[in-house]
Amino acid sequence: MADLAGVNGQREDFRVVGQRNVPGKLSYALATGVAKFGIDYVLPDMLHAKFLRSPYAHARVARVDTSAARAVPGVADILTWEDEDIRKLRSFGEMFGAQRPYLDNLADQEGAEVAVIVVAESEDICEEALRRLDIQWEILPHVVDLLEGRKPDAPVIRPQVRETPQFGIRSPDQLESPPKRGNVAYSNFDSGDIEAGFKAADHIIEYDLYTPAFASHMPNPSGSVAWWSDEPYFGEGKTLHIEGAVREKHSISFMYGMPPEKTVQEGLFMGGKYCDWGLRKSQNITPLLAKRTGRPVRCVNTREETYDFIMNQRYAYMKVGFTKNGLITAMDDFSVADGGVWGSSSFGNVGDQTQGPYNTLKCKNVRQFMEIVDSNRGMMYVSGQHCPFNWDIVTIAIHLIAEKLDMDPIDVARLNLHGPESQDDINPVHSFEACVETGRKMMNWDWHRAGARKLPDGRYHGASFRYQMCPRHSFATYHCKLELRQGVVHLPTQGPLFGVYSIECNAMVVAEELGLNYEDVCIDFDYRENFVTFGGGSDGTTASAWVAKECAHILKQRILEAAIEYAETAPPPGMGGGHGFGPPPPPPGPFKGLKPEDLDLAGGRVVLKADHSVGAPLTSAVPQNLFATYSGKPPLAVWVTGSMGKILDTMNTAYCEVAVDTETGEVEILRFGVAADPGKVLRPTSLESQIDQVMYFSQGCQLLEDFVYDPRTGVRLNTNMFDYKKPGMLDVPPVEKDFLETRAGNAVYGANGISHSLANTHMIIIAIHNAIGVWVDPPATPDKVLKALGKA
Amino acid sequence: MVLLLAQEYAAVPSILTEYRCGICGRIFAGLPELEEHYAARHPEAAQPVVVALNLNGKPRELLVEPHWTLQRALQFSLGLTGTKHMCDRGVCGSCTVIMDGRAVLACTTLACECEGKTVQTVEGIAADPAWKPLIDAYCRWDAMQCGYCTPGFLVSAKALMDKNPNPTEDECRRALAGNICICGTYPRHAAAILEAALKMRKGA
Ligand code: FES
Ligand code: FES
Repeated sequence: MADLAGVNGQREDFRVVGQRNVPGKLSYALATGVAKFGIDYVLPDMLHAKFLRSPYAHARVARVDTSAARAVPGVADILTWEDEDIRKLRSFGEMFGAQRPYLDNLADQEGAEVAVIVVAESEDICEEALRRLDIQWEILPHVVDLLEGRKPDAPVIRPQVRETPQFGIRSPDQLESPPKRGNVAYSNFDSGDIEAGFKAADHIIEYDLYTPAFASHMPNPSGSVAWWSDEPYFGEGKTLHIEGAVREKHSISFMYGMPPEKTVQEGLFMGGKYCDWGLRKSQNITPLLAKRTGRPVRCVNTREETYDFIMNQRYAYMKVGFTKNGLITAMDDFSVADGGVWGSSSFGNVGDQTQGPYNTLKCKNVRQFMEIVDSNRGMMYVSGQHCPFNWDIVTIAIHLIAEKLDMDPIDVARLNLHGPESQDDINPVHSFEACVETGRKMMNWDWHRAGARKLPDGRYHGASFRYQMCPRHSFATYHCKLELRQGVVHLPTQGPLFGVYSIECNAMVVAEELGLNYEDVCIDFDYRENFVTFGGGSDGTTASAWVAKECAHILKQRILEAAIEYAETAPPPGMGGGHGFGPPPPPPGPFKGLKPEDLDLAGGRVVLKADHSVGAPLTSAVPQNLFATYSGKPPLAVWVTGSMGKILDTMNTAYCEVAVDTETGEVEILRFGVAADPGKVLRPTSLESQIDQVMYFSQGCQLLEDFVYDPRTGVRLNTNMFDYKKPGMLDVPPVEKDFLETRAGNAVYGANGISHSLANTHMIIIAIHNAIGVWVDPPATPDKVLKALGKA
Repeated sequence: MVLLLAQEYAAVPSILTEYRCGICGRIFAGLPELEEHYAARHPEAAQPVVVALNLNGKPRELLVEPHWTLQRALQFSLGLTGTKHMCDRGVCGSCTVIMDGRAVLACTTLACECEGKTVQTVEGIAADPAWKPLIDAYCRWDAMQCGYCTPGFLVSAKALMDKNPNPTEDECRRALAGNICICGTYPRHAAAILEAALKMRKGA
């Protein structure tokens, strides 16, 4: 199945792809601090901007008097939501939520940008001016507790016009949503025959599942600097320069009515934005403010202002029917999900329903009823590291079935997993089988029932297992261009995006196909270029690398043709360059009378296929400039083939072992294990890092991280890195890894993306259950563990 | 890249040649004029002060406001981008610099308290050829993904190696325990440091 329509998809000989320890092209810039992120830009004569932030969870600015603020020395400009310039603004940044005005007088979460923007000589002066605003707040009722907010008598916080958001193409299993009631919108799916499924079951189990919200937590607080110039280099009229909104040049040029060629964005560095690409207001307001003031303007969020969600809070109630040998016959899933503030992404709720784990099961009798509760908790911009968010609903079911029937959960999973082609396919999934075989060995897997194993130090041992599929990404068409210039292959690209080594993987593929070393491919970073290497997960955007491979193949053909043409037409030795100018032309390769199919590329040379020792270096064999372009994407991306999980090609499995101290409630993760099949490993070090990252994310959300709200005011209490704790160097356990290469994916050389799919919300929680026999809702802090044990 | 850094660095004047009012942006030729301006125009505002320190081996003067942190001064007075701001309250280590031989957090150090101190930032480390093996090892081992936290880790690593040129893996982990990375690079730092330490010992 690998690399279905591509050239050399089945290549066996790899010289470059798979190499370890090849430095990233921008690694030196990053390590030495030269790399500039949006927050780092400082320009001469620069002004600073700040939004008014709401101190209330839900409030309206009824009236604001800015006169005292305007009188603060150093204030350059103040805008309110009523200004024409603001009313005209529309943000086109990537968001999966409902449109709303760019800035209005309604704050629907504490810390929301609302009503006023101040521009001044320094951030301190901005803050002083914001303090001097005379604001009449109208405080509105809030909802930060979903279970309260869904009640019929809860105060209604959002206009009733907002119905259930649709996500993607309508599924045939999707029911007509009932009309919104109070704060609750509905999204219901029903497939198969749930009643018949339960009738066929020998056992029925029911369980609750809680998933806390999880902060997106980019390392670099979002922000931008913009300025306008008259530089003639960019043509007549003003040119907009915007830094700090990497990847969003087009949406910003559109927002400000600027032609793309007059919108300059040279910065490359985006910071760790793992699928949370949504533009913050600090990233797209600066062009307006710079235009009004005639000076560069910087607007950067504080750390406190960066606590957006990449995972929404959710409560689920599950009922699962299964036979006495462990085959699931029905799943009834009722959940209450956070709809977030107005404009929040529907990826965190409705978006999950079609991309969920159910698609991987043989069982088709699945009902998913979801209540989406409007809240004042926070904003989710796009998606995040936990996609699909409800994956571990099935992981828990498998664990509970295993517990009930005293079966190894791996065997329960194997029994329930459908075959590679469809839910009706009963064949084994080769990749899954290979992963669990490796995983069992790696972990010395020896499953036990809950509470059955004590460690020598008296703590309880627990273990868990989960599987997922590595999704076939490739969202859109990629446009790759390669150039041979003076014997050097150039790969122009728009930029490195969020910092994973994606362009490097693409360059490795180009080098592989053109017989070059990785170092020989020159990556030209240029914001005007079209080639962006995203889509395809951790291992370097396998989908764009597929396109790079196709493009390299076209260039290769051109090089071989050009080598022959030059051999036939090169001037005799001794003649100078054209008309006597320049150095003499290089001697051609010994290719006279040959055909392109007689030649090959190897070691930076054009060589005879039959004898690689005969040939000429690229620089002399092909002095021409050559281009190749290719636009396309690998076939059968997950978004095209239907919902994620209906086709299973490359899979991954993860394992967790914990030790739980029942005296202190402390949980130690002894180790994680990952036996995964990315199809083909392109750049091992970046793949390993991406896997470490998702495992640490998973650790954070299950042991440490949660948003804490004051129920009375709706104010968030822990939006700082002291109180919202991320795992540090001494917290993280070893992550043992073993990679398989079944070459069964659809992208380059049969690779698929991987990283998101390993992110989990309950694998540690299940291991804790396996250790002590009780459920602890994440984050499983010691107090909660003790409480679950009835000790606190 | 290292050379380029050294050159860029040399271009920053050591001694202040202009004094800018932080409130209205006016520029003055000397500190007395700026002080006079504050007294006349902004009598209620805290006056900027000049701090003289040794930064990356060179004497430097910085004009800072009394409440400015060293991180802010390095970024806004000198345009240095390597001392990063992540948490802004002493949790993440992204702003680590070496002051008088000790790793300190520039976001919780007032710039005006750095008078007479010797400060080394990642730019200074990068410009010193003796430390090239450490930077090379960081790049070879991918001890970064998005790279935002990386300079802070690198400075902490250098501070460790100053004291202990032959650290164990565990000593590396402990020395870097105050640095937070969102991108999961933790296991790669010790690998890079151990490789660099070996190379530096061989080269010494
Ligand atoms: S920014 Fe200084 S410790 Fe985080
Ligand atoms: S590499 Fe991104 S925060 Fe560390």
